[in-house]
Parts: sequence; structure tokens; C-alpha cells
Amino acid sequence: MLARVALIGAATLCAGAATPEGNPFLPVAGAEFGSALPSGKQDKVAVRGFLLQRHPVTNAEFLAFVRTHPQWQRGSAPSIFADGDYLGHWSGPLDPGPGAAPMQPVTRVSWFAAEAYCEAQQARLPNWYEWELAAAASTKKRDARSEATWRQQILDWYAHPTGDSLAAVEQGAANFYGLYDIHGLVWEWVHDFDSLLPADADPERFCGSGAQNLQQKENYAVLMRIALLGSLRAADTGHAVGFRCARDAEEGKP
Amino acid sequence: MNWLRGAMVGALAYVSMLSVGGAADVPMDSLYQLHATLATQKGASVGFDMYQGQPTVISMFYGSCPSYCPMLITAVQVYESHLDEASRARLRVLLVSFDAAHDTPTRLAELSRLHRADPERWTFASAKEPDARRIASLLGFHYRKLADGSFDHTQVITLVDSEGRVVTSTTKLIGDSAFEAKLRATTASDPQ
Repeated sequence: MLARVALIGAATLCAGAATPEGNPFLPVAGAEFGSALPSGKQDKVAVRGFLLQRHPVTNAEFLAFVRTHPQWQRGSAPSIFADGDYLGHWSGPLDPGPGAAPMQPVTRVSWFAAEAYCEAQQARLPNWYEWELAAAASTKKRDARSEATWRQQILDWYAHPTGDSLAAVEQGAANFYGLYDIHGLVWEWVHDFDSLLPADADPERFCGSGAQNLQQKENYAVLMRIALLGSLRAADTGHAVGFRCARDAEEGKP
Repeated sequence: MNWLRGAMVGALAYVSMLSVGGAADVPMDSLYQLHATLATQKGASVGFDMYQGQPTVISMFYGSCPSYCPMLITAVQVYESHLDEASRARLRVLLVSFDAAHDTPTRLAELSRLHRADPERWTFASAKEPDARRIASLLGFHYRKLADGSFDHTQVITLVDSEGRVVTSTTKLIGDSAFEAKLRATTASDPQ
């Protein structure tokens, strides 16, 4: 066990762009806010303050992880945790290669792989309400969801084909919290990704009855996220699905 | 022996903080690749693979659910009642609560007594986050806590072989004849 910790330390020192300092955990203050998910009788859900990584986890960061956790290398990861396309665009198990630049967000990672990565950083995946709270911010406001221009900006991304190659992280503007790429780059796993829709909703018929119970119907961008996450299984990997990690806020801080 | 192994794996998972991934002696498509810790009705801390070596029916529940939970327990009892005695003796049942805050070992033991579950073959347990969500993801079981403290959830009963590979699953609490047939076949003779 001690040896394993030492290994992680050594790899982190050598990894350059993959150091934790390169993707720090930034505070998102707690709030009561109206979620797009039905929350029972109450209109609002309470989210405690938490920390979220500044950008989606990159190929360089994920490479540092699989170096120290060989059971998560492509070809070694148990099939129950990751499908056959896991890291399929990398040149080799320890070589992202030309198809996966160091500062591009890592994609083709399963939910289990994302869980394991965050756990190795003494962190966790954010839950949906946390992600949704962070995603409600524009560059200037904590909650910009009622602004038509902001909503349109996000929708424009969804309408824009990503092509073969994703942009590097942190190319756009940071939002209110200093977070990059919440919208506009990749879809992101959340811890409770598979339980966002009501139990009786069929994700494949989301546009019909499944969406009837959802709030904030004008917020299509968020509804599309819910629909996408609801259609995934935990071992699935997608070419535009990545993740970032979260931590609980320290005691006494917002 | 299984219990001891489970307890050791559970302890390791807890200490290492690396509980997702990589059990070398387990098939790659086995649910037992997951290192998750359960608290049982006997007050023991065991691994999710506590019944490795025996065919096992696995499902999830929460104890304060007014109707589903008793129905689930009865449903599994009815399914196993169709087996002959020798087959039933080989089968294990693991019911995992995702509401660890309320389903303490004491409450789990009450449930077990109330339903006259065979404590030699049935385990009522609870898992904390993130383990509960990981187990649910493996089983294709969905649950979500609502603002009033109750849970919205799906239903699924999963049958795994002695190595933890999924044989079949059912969303029907009664009368799934295909599930019954697989249950008979999987428990028909000693594994290996």
C-alpha cells in the first residue's frame, strides 16, 4: 500500500501538465435552486458547497492515472467496467498518440473508469445537482438560466458538429466560478447519471412522456444532458463523453 | 471460509480507497470485480463477493419502502420455492439496501426475522455511497433520493453464477418462467 502511494507521487511529479495543480478544485458555493429534475413536492433542492475541477480531465491527466493503475489500462480493464471501445482512440495502452492530444479532454472512458480516476485523486464524481448548479452560471452570473441569449449560446454548441477532433481544454471563457468547458466541449459523467429520470420513464421515449415530469422545460440544453446520460450504461464509452472530479468543501468554508 | 474471504476483501477495499477495479482471480465479466463493502444483518463487514463460489440471487431495496421491499423479499422466496431442496441449498440470496443511514444491522436483522429468511443462505446488507451506486450500476438498478427522503427506484432481480457472472435478470416479481428455468439450471448441480 505504501509503495503504491509512493508510485502515485513519483508519477505525478514527472507528468508535467498532469499535475493536480494544473486542474485545481475550485469552490462552488452551496445554494437552493430549481433543478430541471422533478424533486418531489418541493420546488427547490438544497446543494451544499463543494469543489469542482477547473476543466474536464485531459488525456495527459488520465495517462498519469493508468500508468499507476495498470488495471485501468486499455486491454486490462475488466469488461464489466468498460466496453470494447474504452480508450479506443489512443494509439496504445500507455500512448495516447496523435489522436488524443495531451490537453484534449479524455473521452471513451466509462463511468466506472471515471469513478476510479476520481477516487485515486481522493475525489469523487460530482452528483447531478452539483453539476447542474455549476452549469447554471454564465461568465458573470451564478444563475443565468433565465437569459435567452445565454441559453441560445449553449444550444448553438449542441447544433454544431464536433467533427473528429475535440478542442483542448480552457480555450473559451471561464464561468462565474472560474470553471472552463462546462458547456461546449464534452458531455460529463456524474455519479448518479443512471437515476436522473423517473423510474417509470423510458429513456428511449424521453421526448414523449418521459419529459413531462421535468421542470425548466425551456432549458433544452440541460434536458438534453439528462436524456443523454439516461441513455448510457455504466460500462459505456462515448467519443464525446468525459468527466471531471469533485470534492466535498472543507468544513466551515462555503 | 467465504465469509472470512469477504471480510478480508472488504477490509482491503476500505483501506486502499481503490475499490473500483482489478480482482485478479475473478473473471473479467464478473460482478465480483467490484470491491465494495457491505454491512450485514449480523453486524459483519463483508465484501460484495461474500457469496463467491455459490450461485446467488442479488437485488437492491430500502427497508422503509412501504410496499416494494416486502414484495421483493416474498418474490425471491417464491422463486426459490420452485427449486428442489438440494438446489435451494446451493442458492444464496443477497439483498443490498442503498439506504445505509436507516438500514442498520439491527433493522436488517428485524427484516430477516420478520420474513423468516434462512440466515445460512440469505444476507440482508446495506452499502454506503459510493459503493451502493456502483453495485446498482452493475445490476442496472436505478434509484434516486427524493426531497422528502423517500426513493424513486426501479426493480430488478439478478441471478449470478458461482463466479459472479450475470446469468439472467428479471423485472417481474412473480411468474417469469424464463427466469425460473435459468434459476433451476444454475442451481442444478454443484459448480465445477
